[in-house]
Amino acid sequence: MPPDSPAAAVAALDCRDVTVRYGAVTALSGITAAFAPGLIHAVVGQNGAGKTTFARVAAGLVQPAEGEVSILGTPIRTGHVSESRAAGVELVHQSFALPPSFTVSEAMEFGATGRGGLFTARRLRRRWQAHLAELDVTAGPTQRIRDLPVETQQAVEIARALITDARVLILDEPTAVLTPAGIETLFDRVRRLKASGVTVLLILHKIREVLAIADTLTVLRAGQLVDGPRPAATVDEAELTRLIVGQSDPAAGRSGAGPAGQPVSPPVSPSVSPSGPGASPMVPAAGSHPPALGIYALRTRADSEGPALEDVDLEVAPGEILGIAGVEGNGQKSLVRAIAGLAEVESGRIMLGGRDIGPRSLGERRAAGLRIIPFERNTEGLSLRSSLWENWSAGALLQRPLLSPVRPDHLRRDCAAALREWQVRYHSPAQPAGSLSGGNAQKVILAREIDEAARLIIAAQPTRGLDIGATAFVWRALRAARDRGAAVLVISSDLDELFDISDRVVVMLSGRVSGRFAPPYSLTRVGAAMTGAEGAFA
Amino acid sequence: MSSHLVTITRSLVFVCLALLLCAALMQGLGFNALLMLTSVAEGAFLRPGAIENSLRWGLPLFLSAAGVSIAFRAGFFNIGAQGQFYLGAIFAATAAHWLQGGAPLLVIPAILCAGFLGGALWALWPGLMKLGSGTDEVITTLMGNFIAGLLLVWVTSGPLKDPAGSGQQASSPVLAAPYRISDSSGVSATTLGIALGVGILLWLLVNRTAFGVLSGLAGRNGTMVRWQGASSWRIGLTSFLLSGGLAGLAGAVEFAGPTGRIASGFLPGHGFTATLVALVANFSILGTAVTALFFGGLAAAALYLPIMAGLPAAAIEVINASIALFITARSRLVDRLAGRKETSS
Repeated sequence: MPPDSPAAAVAALDCRDVTVRYGAVTALSGITAAFAPGLIHAVVGQNGAGKTTFARVAAGLVQPAEGEVSILGTPIRTGHVSESRAAGVELVHQSFALPPSFTVSEAMEFGATGRGGLFTARRLRRRWQAHLAELDVTAGPTQRIRDLPVETQQAVEIARALITDARVLILDEPTAVLTPAGIETLFDRVRRLKASGVTVLLILHKIREVLAIADTLTVLRAGQLVDGPRPAATVDEAELTRLIVGQSDPAAGRSGAGPAGQPVSPPVSPSVSPSGPGASPMVPAAGSHPPALGIYALRTRADSEGPALEDVDLEVAPGEILGIAGVEGNGQKSLVRAIAGLAEVESGRIMLGGRDIGPRSLGERRAAGLRIIPFERNTEGLSLRSSLWENWSAGALLQRPLLSPVRPDHLRRDCAAALREWQVRYHSPAQPAGSLSGGNAQKVILAREIDEAARLIIAAQPTRGLDIGATAFVWRALRAARDRGAAVLVISSDLDELFDISDRVVVMLSGRVSGRFAPPYSLTRVGAAMTGAEGAFA
Repeated sequence: MSSHLVTITRSLVFVCLALLLCAALMQGLGFNALLMLTSVAEGAFLRPGAIENSLRWGLPLFLSAAGVSIAFRAGFFNIGAQGQFYLGAIFAATAAHWLQGGAPLLVIPAILCAGFLGGALWALWPGLMKLGSGTDEVITTLMGNFIAGLLLVWVTSGPLKDPAGSGQQASSPVLAAPYRISDSSGVSATTLGIALGVGILLWLLVNRTAFGVLSGLAGRNGTMVRWQGASSWRIGLTSFLLSGGLAGLAGAVEFAGPTGRIASGFLPGHGFTATLVALVANFSILGTAVTALFFGGLAAAALYLPIMAGLPAAAIEVINASIALFITARSRLVDRLAGRKETSS
């Protein structure tokens, strides 16, 4: 069926007037959309636009207040997972749901049936090997979920979802955890599923990915259907950006000044990379100032969190943004943990503002101006079950004696002021951090980590899982910190973003620095350094 | 603050459910459930002198339960309150033995401090093992209870044995009257003052110091606090020592107060009831005070059950156990609901 006549046949998924409310918040209001069978549909929108809620309604996980859902022409009772499943809808969650201690075949067996009972390892293996091979999943049936790389875990999740002859497969933010190569593999897999007749709904927010894969587009904004499903070929990047963000740039909040008094520029798609506005890279002047961060011949031990660093040399000057590129798992985590003092350093020196911080604890390093936006927002960055004001004040409180008095009402007030300044959308400083959307949660971390006393800011994947508006906000904030004289170390797997913001780029490969680049960046040369195609030392 | 009240009210609903379950059980066994409930209420609060009797059991419970709360809030499951309580009592009795004849104004504080110290030491080694090498503190503190219980047997039948003892139960000599902080009723200006003072200090510690905020954060997500630059030793060891110390103080109060001596196996369920109190109160200090009084009331009522309802005193254990059941089920339920909320966006 041609993609430009989506309503010609019986829709694979048909929603009429679906409205979902969480307490006082309306997450979806009156969504009516029909998705044609056998196509790849992208549902796009900013964080908090209602994409995940929409997916959960279709999968029967959320009971809408109003509205009807039909699967392949059959109306289903909403809010019943078993009904949606029986009708052929499967949802792969944003955060993976397979038990880490299970083997692949165990996960398939019990994910499929949800029943216990007697089984033998061999029978399980035999049962699932063919299914996995058919879907081109490389994991062996006896491997444990926790030992698999992220891409393979996702492939297993998808294979699990396809056990029961799913006709409609919904993937919620499947690319958020993947490397560029992993995304390609995923997209190939999705295209093959389409060829075999499965209707695929992708919840996405990166424009370039959307345009690369989708047959139709559906745009949600603030719980409302803005457009679609319409054929993807009829939309270009600029229009899609406008559809997602809206005219008034809601993610950047009120028009006017950004957090550091910078004018709010119209949001740019992260995939569009003009040269950074007003970027004036300060190349470290030898001798005059000590670098904010100096790492010399650093070696660490490999551990469960990542490979060893081998003779890493880095310098970041005050007022400079250094980008760290590289395929995930090539020592970026070890580097951040070494700078934080949380990894075992075998030899080499780490200097903060010209002083060796080797023997210093993270608390002392922070007192000296180190700030970290860690990789894992929800575990390392925030305590989701604790209130916003507690999360926000943790760093400052740790710099005081344990028994020093605090005034919670003052902290709440100051926190509220800071969160307003950082344009966090929240109800009360006492609400748990886990109740915020990803973008707002990240802003809470920014509000805590980017302060006047910050001398070196480590930003590890600061835009992972964020929508366009929030992404632009993060980059603006880091640029503003740079312009105030802080040194910034950015780790990102998105090369476009990295090229856009970095004054210099360093590539890591297997725990070593495999390339150093200055603008203008060449994608081919950086890519070669990332994959080790050539020993490119620039 | 209001959210605290909601949590505690919810806990109390579960406590009532547990009581109803017990009542149904007793009715099924052929006892008069209504009579049981009224005799519990009378024995705990309504009879003349019942409040005083409830305080006698509630005060030490409050001290130990507050200690348990401090550790649990920080994410350490110290279930060794019983052992720490015994060690506190042993240290207090030892101090009293050594300082015999000194001025009461000096000896009594020394006894109390020794009790705190004993309990803190009995939490120190599980704390060191936990923070140093990750040894599960549930196992170490639980085992510590048994070791402390045997230590108490040895101390009361050896070094501190009452020479005039009958041999029925190994115990220390009765503490001389000038050093007692209360008579056998357990309620005096001193004991009330200790409980009130400790309560106020702990409330301030939890609600008005950096430690209170940070230990609460650490208990919910230790990784995040570590990335903020916390040394797990500073918060962790403080929590362990304070937690054990408070149970030890309870032991000292029990020794210098109502019991007046230490005896092998005395107050055998104290630590577990204290843990239960902390769970019901959801680790709030104010809630712990109220809940400890309630459970103190149940303990007091245990003595009336045989007389009034013809039930064995152990029926109170059944009530305690059902409350424990309902409270743990509640936390699971609340966790699951909270978890579901977090994933929706």
